[in-house]
Amino acid sequence: MTTVQLTSKDFKSNLKPIWCPGCGDFGVVQGIYRALASIGRPPHEIAFVSGIGCSSRIPGYTTAYGFNTVHGRALPIAQGIKLANPELLVLVAGGDGDGFSIGGGHVPHAIRRNPDLTYLVMDNQIYGLTKGQLSPTSACGLKTVTSPHGAIEHPVNPLLYVLSYGAGFVAQATPADMAGMTAIIEEAIRYPGFSFVNVQSPCVTYGEDHQQVKAHRTAMKTLASMGHDPSDRMRAFELASHYGEQLYTGVFYRNPNPPPTYGALVKERQAALAGGLPRERILESFIQR
Amino acid sequence: MTTQTESMHPPATDLVIGMAGSGGDGIVSAGESLIAAAAAEGYHAMMTKSFGSQIRGGESSCRVRIGTSALHNPGGILDVAVALNWEDFLRFGAELPVSSQTVVIYEKATNVAPDQLPLGGVHPTDVFAVPIEEIARKAAGTDLAKNTVVLGLLAGWFDLAPDAILRGIRKRFAKKSAELVQNNEKAFQSGIDYAKANPLRQARPLARVSRSTAGLMLLDGNDMCAAASLFAGCEFFGGYPITPSTEIMQYLSREIWRYGGAVLQAEDEIAGIGAAVGASFAGKKSMTATSGPGMSLKTEMLGLASIAELPLVVVNVMRGGPSTGLPTKPEQSDLFQAAFSGHGDVLRPILAPTSVADTFRVTVEAFNLAEHYQTPVMILSDQEIAQRKETVDAIDTSRFEVLHRRVPTGAELESYERFRATESGISPISHPGMQGGNYLAAGIEHNDKGDPTVSGKIHARMNEKRFRKLDPLRHRQDLFAIEGDADAPLALIAWGSVAGVCRESLARVRASGLRAKLLVPTLLWPIAEGVYQDFLASVQAGLVVELSHQGQLYRMLRMQVDVPRGLKSLTRSGANPFLPSEIAQRLEQLAIDLQSRVSDQKGEG
Amino acid sequence: MTTKVSGLDFSKLTLLDALDLAVLIEEEAMDRYRELAEQLEVHNTHAAAKFFRFMERNEAKHREALLTQRTARFADAPRHVRREMIFDIEAPEYDEARTFMSLRAALEVSMRSETKAREFFESALAQISDSEVRTLFAELRDEEIEHQGLVQKELDKVGSGAPGDPEDYADEPVSH
Repeated sequence: MTTVQLTSKDFKSNLKPIWCPGCGDFGVVQGIYRALASIGRPPHEIAFVSGIGCSSRIPGYTTAYGFNTVHGRALPIAQGIKLANPELLVLVAGGDGDGFSIGGGHVPHAIRRNPDLTYLVMDNQIYGLTKGQLSPTSACGLKTVTSPHGAIEHPVNPLLYVLSYGAGFVAQATPADMAGMTAIIEEAIRYPGFSFVNVQSPCVTYGEDHQQVKAHRTAMKTLASMGHDPSDRMRAFELASHYGEQLYTGVFYRNPNPPPTYGALVKERQAALAGGLPRERILESFIQR
Repeated sequence: MTTQTESMHPPATDLVIGMAGSGGDGIVSAGESLIAAAAAEGYHAMMTKSFGSQIRGGESSCRVRIGTSALHNPGGILDVAVALNWEDFLRFGAELPVSSQTVVIYEKATNVAPDQLPLGGVHPTDVFAVPIEEIARKAAGTDLAKNTVVLGLLAGWFDLAPDAILRGIRKRFAKKSAELVQNNEKAFQSGIDYAKANPLRQARPLARVSRSTAGLMLLDGNDMCAAASLFAGCEFFGGYPITPSTEIMQYLSREIWRYGGAVLQAEDEIAGIGAAVGASFAGKKSMTATSGPGMSLKTEMLGLASIAELPLVVVNVMRGGPSTGLPTKPEQSDLFQAAFSGHGDVLRPILAPTSVADTFRVTVEAFNLAEHYQTPVMILSDQEIAQRKETVDAIDTSRFEVLHRRVPTGAELESYERFRATESGISPISHPGMQGGNYLAAGIEHNDKGDPTVSGKIHARMNEKRFRKLDPLRHRQDLFAIEGDADAPLALIAWGSVAGVCRESLARVRASGLRAKLLVPTLLWPIAEGVYQDFLASVQAGLVVELSHQGQLYRMLRMQVDVPRGLKSLTRSGANPFLPSEIAQRLEQLAIDLQSRVSDQKGEG
Repeated sequence: MTTKVSGLDFSKLTLLDALDLAVLIEEEAMDRYRELAEQLEVHNTHAAAKFFRFMERNEAKHREALLTQRTARFADAPRHVRREMIFDIEAPEYDEARTFMSLRAALEVSMRSETKAREFFESALAQISDSEVRTLFAELRDEEIEHQGLVQKELDKVGSGAPGDPEDYADEPVSH
């Protein structure tokens, strides 16, 4: 593991984003560049994994090792990577559909294993890549091409979802506050364990006007300004329950006593059990005696 | 009654014992003891288990085959049938076939008269209604010791390694108490005594073997697959429990840590293969294992591994399907799935082992192919091989080459392109941590560098590359076993567990003077047209024998090879095992038909 | 406004730091105009992209001039101000670009940015005591005012006659 002096530019790849001009993800990727520069791990020691969706294109726009995988499966793949090489800095990103619809079943399990990775969900309350269908975080009543008469289901609350399964770091950010978002992403990466940031990253093409970055600038309220103590998990639940009504940004919860990570426990087990038969003599354990 | 009344057969060189009872009877434990004892004495032995669907207490059965020379399959019609109750025995149907030659031993308390056995008109000559429970109670103070009595009966009647069985009994119960050891010793001896007092019409002692047991192993296919994966350098396994593949994950969960590896028991089948794909991306040899329904779930991820050109070994231990089907029984009905499931133009090599021993070679080969060609490789095992225990002679692992993925050299990293066009189609593969090797792996089509593209031209070029790199596989003669008479007009083709049955059938017909041959492909897909074409050149009649309703390999051959008109498909749904004798009879019939056709043609001429 | 700069105390700002900050502000704006131009080029929004490219060159020139000033005065004295300390001072925000945006809309983006920059320097001036720094910031503010004038001229040329919403004429987005 090495840390070196790096700048945002070291993390920007030559690929030109396919995102629509005005997309919230442009800000998010800049925030990631800057957070990574500040962390100081060189790009080749970073694995950036995503699912499918507009936001899942993000690894390609960085110079890290990227893996743009299949819809909803970024977390399991990222855990495999982290287990295979615990020294890597592993980032996972995707949209709300990727994380809380098709891949929703993987989130609790990633949390209960507590691998040291950071999961960034770019939540825009809509399916953008497939042209504006209802997403798991779309508000009830929202009219989309698949809910032309208004959605009759209620949205998933990503913050409560992740908090309730015991994630050690839960935050929300918006690219309307680049400095704040960058600081949150950096803090999430530095948290030793599973960390989650719900980034409210608006869809400029299909999103609602009141959910655009411009609207965020006036709507957002930082948890710090409200005097929230991020070690207070119960208060975090209460604040998180306002998802969809209030745009709170900052750290809802940070476990003040992070438990051992999955990777640390794996290493411990490997060390405790080291020294079996050499691989080429593996069959000897089946010999009849 | 004295032994003088017995007529004496030459000692048997092969004995097939089938036993059934309910789970509480411990009939499978008895089988385990028997095979362990046989192995210790130097016999070749094999045991298959079959169960009802209950977790505990349902019907259970096992077949134990013991021979003085190498065994290829669990045997056909039983030489000995043991029924602790008839309902359970009969539930196994064709899995426990009996004939009039079968020695039938059953619990007297079932109150079935020896001449009224519910065997569908088969009337065995040697039938013993043994008060097994009563003997157990008297000897051991509990009728739970039934299975120990059964071992005594078998040892007594067939001279089956009594000393070794006794050693096994002692070892097993020593952990509990001296009293238990003593009681079971008594139960075992009572069984022997009963057998001696009630001899067979014709004694059938098993011939003794004199061979060294040094290095002799006893294990099942799933353990072999897992151990072989470690030999091949596997460092990661991701999976989800599913019968009958779970023992692979169980073995690795115990052992892989010793080698710096890890197992992830995932939340579902998709996450299991996903984690394995991730570990491979991170540079580690990795594997997942499942059965048909799990394979369906994993399929999308196979597409990802194919387009991202990531090495991965995927084991499908086949069971009866579709859907939950027959989860505890073997079938060969997932070949189409293995070859054709998934989206897009894609080619994945598929390998099939034919026995527990063969599972070692096939697993190592699968890792080698996966790493060398940077592709997912499927192993199609089946419930029989995976869960059958057999003696395996010492394997000289130094004979097996272990290949690793080709990583870029320092010079190549200066201007690295992950999917660089090469003559072989194989591009050096980097992994995170390797400076200069940074690239984007993706499910989306990409150019040489790895950058996403929607260009039809590049897509065509990349498809061509991904297929071209696998071309050499179709010329791997060593992935095909050809046995018998090279220019024979009669042929069998079989794969997986059925190949072992056909090996025996071939030996039988050749012993009776027929000219015949057998082709056993390890490589099922891609179809090696040339190998089949050469093999079939002399063939006028033959059978592709498969344990499935459709006969999937036969249909795939019809797609890609000019198969002679006389080559037919012999199929049967899973859990209805083929018998070596019946396939031999089919071949004999084909030979007769050929003969008459020749004479007909002569007549016409 | 000065909250856009982290880790700097404006009341104690030295000329060296002020010059370095000014260089970085121009650099950020230059980079941003390039990024927005790239976004628009990828989405075939040419007139606006061309204007953003023009602005990129403009900001580059300013940056160059400030850098020359800095080198003349301080040679290669170490820098204390880092790019990581600033966000969006003169640079248009990331969400300012739109597919098919008109030249007029692009000019308006620029106008907002110049206004934003002017306000920044004005509010900074209120906190600065060093006379040289005050002079520099006043110059920079005046430049922004000048730029506002230039952009206004361009806006007048384009005219207020609305060409209509390009979205009314464009193809539907493409699904992937």
